[in-house]
Amino acid sequence: MSEFHLTEDQQDCLQELINIAMGQASDQLARYLDTFVYLKVPSIESIDAKDLLQTLSQQKNTMAVVSQGFFGYEGIRGEALLSYQEEDSGRIGDLLGYEPDELSQDEQLIDISSILTTTFLNVFARQIDNQMSYNAPKLLPSVQNCLSEHLQEMTFNWDLALKININYQVTDYSFNCNMILLIPETAIINIKKVLDRILAEF
Amino acid sequence: MSPSVLICDDSNMARKQVLRSLPEQWKTSAQIASNGAEALTILRDNSIEVLFLDLTMPGIDGIGVLQGIKKLNLDCSVFVISADIQPEMQAKVKALGAKEFIRKPVKPDVLISHLQQHGLL
Repeated sequence: MSEFHLTEDQQDCLQELINIAMGQASDQLARYLDTFVYLKVPSIESIDAKDLLQTLSQQKNTMAVVSQGFFGYEGIRGEALLSYQEEDSGRIGDLLGYEPDELSQDEQLIDISSILTTTFLNVFARQIDNQMSYNAPKLLPSVQNCLSEHLQEMTFNWDLALKININYQVTDYSFNCNMILLIPETAIINIKKVLDRILAEF
Repeated sequence: MSPSVLICDDSNMARKQVLRSLPEQWKTSAQIASNGAEALTILRDNSIEVLFLDLTMPGIDGIGVLQGIKKLNLDCSVFVISADIQPEMQAKVKALGAKEFIRKPVKPDVLISHLQQHGLL
């Protein structure tokens, strides 16, 4: 086990913090869309940079990915990737109640992604007495090539990342959005410190 | 006398959070389940009076446990403690017989006041 891996207790603690953040993000989404969001238990795993690219580019029907960097105090940072499937992206305008010409599909995707990412991370940050700042969200249109370039261009270097996967399933519309948070190596060490601090209270 | 209590949550930390929010005299006898299936087994074989129940769990989730309690016709006060705070979810668990919906992370004063409200303290 390397210094970048989480202990069982740290994993459990992180999962619970994520549960709470995910619950509030989906409540926002549900209110925004006036519907119900079905939640699954999030997954947390350590992943190699090269494996990650492969996993992400294997999702063939992924149409669009919106990427947004986040950074807080104590060296907590990462990148949030929200991926949408091809058949879903056309529905987003309907879901959000936009008129056909009001906003382009790209803008709608960026809109909804930003709501999810910032709600989730603000709640997460509040629980660990932190505060997040965000980069502007960026839409990566033709996923296959762009994603690998984008990951390589990210401002942090990493071989290993913590990958947190959260699925938001809007039942009424069979619409699916996958939120992937990537936490690079140095930030993992910092998150582990925060988790240990919380665990020490128990 | 303190009632028989069961805490069901897949997270160890969340279970501890509930446990330490309980009235002092309830703490020692509280039983623990880490998933819905385990909870239903304990509920079936023991007369549990108060259940603190999480919703989002792998396998049989909190909704499944509430349905099981109905099916088995058990007399048990259920307090749902969940992060899934959508109004529709809160209405759903109440319709399935839960006494209260309490949002995570649970705070001792909130939990105690709900127990008092339902005449359990």
